[in-house]
Amino acid sequence: MNSWMIVFKKEFYRVISDRRLIFTAIILPGLAIYVMYSIMGSAITGEVDDITSHEIVVYHENMPSDYQDYLTASERDFEFHDGSELSSDTIDDMLGNTEMDIYIAFPDDFSQQLTNYDDPSYTIPQVEIVYNSGEKYSSNSYSVISGALNTYTNSILYDRFGDGIVAFQSSITDTVDESRATGQVFASILPMIIVMFLFSGAMSIGPDSIAGEKERGTVATLLVTPIKRSQIAIGKVISLTVISLFSAMSSFVGILLSLPKLMNMDDLGGNVNIYGLSDYAMILIVLLMTVFFIVGIVSLVSTYAKTIKEAGMLILPFYFISIIVGVSSMFNGEAATELWAYMIPIYNTINLLIAILTFDVSMIHLVVMIIANSIYVTALIYFMTQMFQSEKIMFQK
Amino acid sequence: MEQILEVKDVKKTFHLSRKQRKIEKTDQKKKVAVNALSFTAYPGEIYGLLGPNGAGKTTTLRMIATLIKPDEGDIFVGGTSVLKTPIEVRKNIGFLTSELKLEDHFTPNYLFDYFSRLHGVDEKDIPIRKENLFNQFGITDFQEVKVADLSTGMKQKASLAISLVHDPDFIIFDEPTNGLDVLTAKSVTDYLIQLRDEGKTVIISTHILSVVEKICDRVGIIIDGKMKVSDSYDALVDKGYEDLETLFFELLEEGDDHE
Ligand SMILES: Nc1ncnc2c1ncn2[C@@H]1O[C@H](COP(=O)(O)OP(=O)(O)OP(=O)(O)O)[C@@H](O)[C@H]1O
Ligand SMILES: [Mg+2]
Repeated sequence: MNSWMIVFKKEFYRVISDRRLIFTAIILPGLAIYVMYSIMGSAITGEVDDITSHEIVVYHENMPSDYQDYLTASERDFEFHDGSELSSDTIDDMLGNTEMDIYIAFPDDFSQQLTNYDDPSYTIPQVEIVYNSGEKYSSNSYSVISGALNTYTNSILYDRFGDGIVAFQSSITDTVDESRATGQVFASILPMIIVMFLFSGAMSIGPDSIAGEKERGTVATLLVTPIKRSQIAIGKVISLTVISLFSAMSSFVGILLSLPKLMNMDDLGGNVNIYGLSDYAMILIVLLMTVFFIVGIVSLVSTYAKTIKEAGMLILPFYFISIIVGVSSMFNGEAATELWAYMIPIYNTINLLIAILTFDVSMIHLVVMIIANSIYVTALIYFMTQMFQSEKIMFQK
Repeated sequence: MEQILEVKDVKKTFHLSRKQRKIEKTDQKKKVAVNALSFTAYPGEIYGLLGPNGAGKTTTLRMIATLIKPDEGDIFVGGTSVLKTPIEVRKNIGFLTSELKLEDHFTPNYLFDYFSRLHGVDEKDIPIRKENLFNQFGITDFQEVKVADLSTGMKQKASLAISLVHDPDFIIFDEPTNGLDVLTAKSVTDYLIQLRDEGKTVIISTHILSVVEKICDRVGIIIDGKMKVSDSYDALVDKGYEDLETLFFELLEEGDDHE
């Protein structure tokens, strides 16, 4: 057996024989992504359902029956109450405590006034609406009520002036690419979450596996064995990488299972899966390259640190920077187009994930990322081996 | 007799970090931990390095164990140089410190196999060697118990067994009885005596005089990185020193006078 494999097997066994570590490093990332997106999906769908199924509570004065017909003809349910006795303070209160969704008052001789529009003494009748835009039901009631009011107005004008009143007709087409819009929703949070989970997966095992040897003093026992120090370093990095790959796969499965769920919120119906095989393959490649980089960083820092705690603390800045880079993508929502963006680790992960999720990916960017990360990882592992050779770092006081 | 260990004029200087300078209350950026130190040890003896805290005992033992390199001088273990062929030296030494804490998650059994493989012990020899050592230390009953659940004494015994997986001829033990109760300490020193009787060389460090008196055949007294005396215990007694304690304090005061 190669010496690095002895080290690898032991480190690997360390994790897979520990239920707690299996859960935090491998199961949790996928589970968290799945649960989060599922909740988000059903919350958004639920919210829309909740509002549209709500019975609109209308308090009115002198509502003309033909207007009321417009309302009752719509898909929504209404509950009509007489509001003529209500003071304006009471109306405010009732809107505030959601006893009432909307208040609408027509003048008492409204239909009379409408017919007298030719009279020189004619004053335009006033319809008063009171609602509360801070309440979701009330706010939605307003759009329903005012929509119906518009139709009502048009029909009155049509009765008065016939066709001549129609200045023009408009034909509106929304060219929104539903898939791309949905993609943008994922692209806003997913990259950050993935980077976070990959980091925390590696962070939950790397420091213990490497800095822990120094803290426990086992590094001396390890280093007096006749195997090469580079073999020890390689064995540890590979086991950390394999575990982190599991972690990445778990995130990936989480994404795979939850995206269709989240997609439902846009009512795409049966056509739930907007991403194809090649999109998923690219996501996978990006995840792998990111894992290599993160494992490289975590290993290097853990080799340098004297204790597990110190390693954890020294990794935090890298972790936070990565999260900040991820958060910035939430506001941007568009992948960078400059080539240099794909040479910067983590930033390239985020941008590529956004690009893939919004169907905007360029192969050149993917290749640049693969090359860049490979170079970084080679350098990181080289430095780590150097550190393992250095008595100053292995036995610092 | 052919010497198995030859420490020749070794010197080791450390750079002091700012934090360390504060602790040691010094402005010096460098610390000479071991200075022109020489001594020899022979097969079948226990050699004790005696010295106060910070004298350079651990540093010396680490240099012998090839963990750190001497800046000057060289060390030969069985004729092999630690500078030129450290890997050869490692094949023949067992190194143990009382600061060692085995990884909590594993069992003595697992760790024994792991370190045996790292030392390149033949796969078929591992069980035999393990049975021997585990019986010796009474580990057999708890060989499948995780280190986390072992008592300090058991842990120490397990560490001892694990550092001897490859049956080295030369055993280095930094502070062997540190932090152990009398009973466990005795079982450890008894074993060191047994190793000696098997013809192995044992070199230990300690600041406890009684340990030296009880088990060491020869003593080296290190103060401030320098070897003050290196002789057989009996010879020291013959030279008219009442006991080790008197000699030790004499040497300590001497050192203070020079400053
Ligand atoms: N890696 C290191 N970096 C810097 N200074 C060190 C290092 N190792 C030892 N020293 C310093 O060298 C001196 C000798 O240390 P050493 O550990 O060898 O002493 P010791 O005799 O083992 O003492 P103790 O009885 O406390 O174990 C001390 O002043 C110590 O602070
Ligand atoms: Mg010491």
